[in-house]
Amino acid sequence: MPRLTARERREGYQREYAFQQRHGKPFFPHVVFHDTIVSLIVVALIMGLSVLWYVQFGAIPTDPMAERTGGLLGPAYEAKADPGVLGYHPQPDWYFFFLFELLRIFKTPQLLIVGTIIIPTIWMVLLIGWPFIDRNPDRRLSRRPIALAIGVMVPIVLLTLTFYGSKVPAEGGAASTEPGAAAFAAGACSTCHVLANAGTAGNVGPVLDEAKPDYATALALITNGQGAMPSFKATYTEDEISCLAGYVATWSAAVGTTPGPGAATAKDYPASCEKAGGLFAGTVSSASGP
Amino acid sequence: MSTLLPPPKEIAMMPVDWVEERSGAISFGKFMLFRNVPKDISWLQTLGSALITVFILQATTGIILAMYYQPTPDTAWMTIQWITNEATLGWLVRGMHKWGSSVMVVLLFLHMGRTFLFGAYKYPREMTWITGAIIFILVMGMSFTGYLLVFDERAYWATIVGVNINGTAPILGPALSYVLMVGPEIGTNTLSRFYSLHMLVLPSAIGGLIFLHMLLVVRLGVTSPPWSRMEPTEGDV
Repeated sequence: MPRLTARERREGYQREYAFQQRHGKPFFPHVVFHDTIVSLIVVALIMGLSVLWYVQFGAIPTDPMAERTGGLLGPAYEAKADPGVLGYHPQPDWYFFFLFELLRIFKTPQLLIVGTIIIPTIWMVLLIGWPFIDRNPDRRLSRRPIALAIGVMVPIVLLTLTFYGSKVPAEGGAASTEPGAAAFAAGACSTCHVLANAGTAGNVGPVLDEAKPDYATALALITNGQGAMPSFKATYTEDEISCLAGYVATWSAAVGTTPGPGAATAKDYPASCEKAGGLFAGTVSSASGP
Repeated sequence: MSTLLPPPKEIAMMPVDWVEERSGAISFGKFMLFRNVPKDISWLQTLGSALITVFILQATTGIILAMYYQPTPDTAWMTIQWITNEATLGWLVRGMHKWGSSVMVVLLFLHMGRTFLFGAYKYPREMTWITGAIIFILVMGMSFTGYLLVFDERAYWATIVGVNINGTAPILGPALSYVLMVGPEIGTNTLSRFYSLHMLVLPSAIGGLIFLHMLLVVRLGVTSPPWSRMEPTEGDV
């Protein structure tokens, strides 16, 4: 790459600037004309999206807390935020899908920070510092092969991450009838975690069949959250959390009806599921008893 | 009488001259309008001004929304519902704010891509690129703080996950999460904090940086396309 002295660089710019002053075209009307047309198109696009969004709204729901449905461009609004709702599958808006996908790629607790902090920080530093990294003075793409390669790669990587990030968790199999399985499959757990016994295929957080948390770990994680995982203190009662922790400890890495290695630690399981009742009480426990 | 009064044209120009003499605003405006830009720039150089249009649109619709929106866990979602369902053209104002944010992110990408491919960030325009890059990051911050405000299910859970992601940073992470949420959980103060960041802190920072960005563009001149040659065409003076 040709090296220019600071003086050559300055004089080159000054020549170009002087040429522009002498032989350029006035901002008005040329640029103003182009700018106005494009701005009008953009405003029309935004209004068009709003109208398309609006015309597909469903009727105003009679339940004052419910979602008002929409069509292609999504609902008018979802149901009011309620930490007590069991089966919500969280997903960010599209411009954070790439980050969401990074969470999926680096899902284990040890690697999580690579996706959440390290890669985004490197991106931001490279973005801001780019003029100091690319020292090639030439502006023609034919003389900038590395910059061109990066300029093509970055959008491809971001679009790919955004595309995969937009996918909702794959359909899993059916939940077993063990106590806690139905609650695990119906609740937020299934959005992020794979657990064969519950038939879930959520792939944002660690695969529980591989992580095999013991009861105490699972209890602490569900109660307080960790990393990207939210705390579910406000969502579930103590019995329900105890039931889920016991269920995860017992049935992660389970083979068929043989409990996994964490079964020994699940002290209140499945009694806590009986107490929690509803979805938490399975059918097997009522037959075999604790 | 007629000898005492200046001619009508001069009278009409008096307020203009008054402003010009005291501020120089008229000659500044003339300079901005009639400064020369490279001959061969055209449609590809319009994305920056389109972004300013969207920024103004976001500010205007945001101000209107702020007149009706109440940032507390009990009322936030109710006021959004009221704006969408009841207020005259409320759906349009909210819709334009919501979709305007998406369009802004897309335009930012295109504007940045054009600058990158044209090498327009090179000497002496490094600072223009840096201010633009910071604007980009702040706009992502606007998107993040914006969607908690609707306070629906998505807003709630996506914000928790987003704040937890910040919390995974070493040393500063947990403190940052705590500061963002004003405590361990999302509550009244979280909404006020996000609202303040979303409508005061970030927009003023972005507005200031846009001003700086434009100042640099005007001072350094618009970059001509990389293929442009410094040869005067026929008909030039």
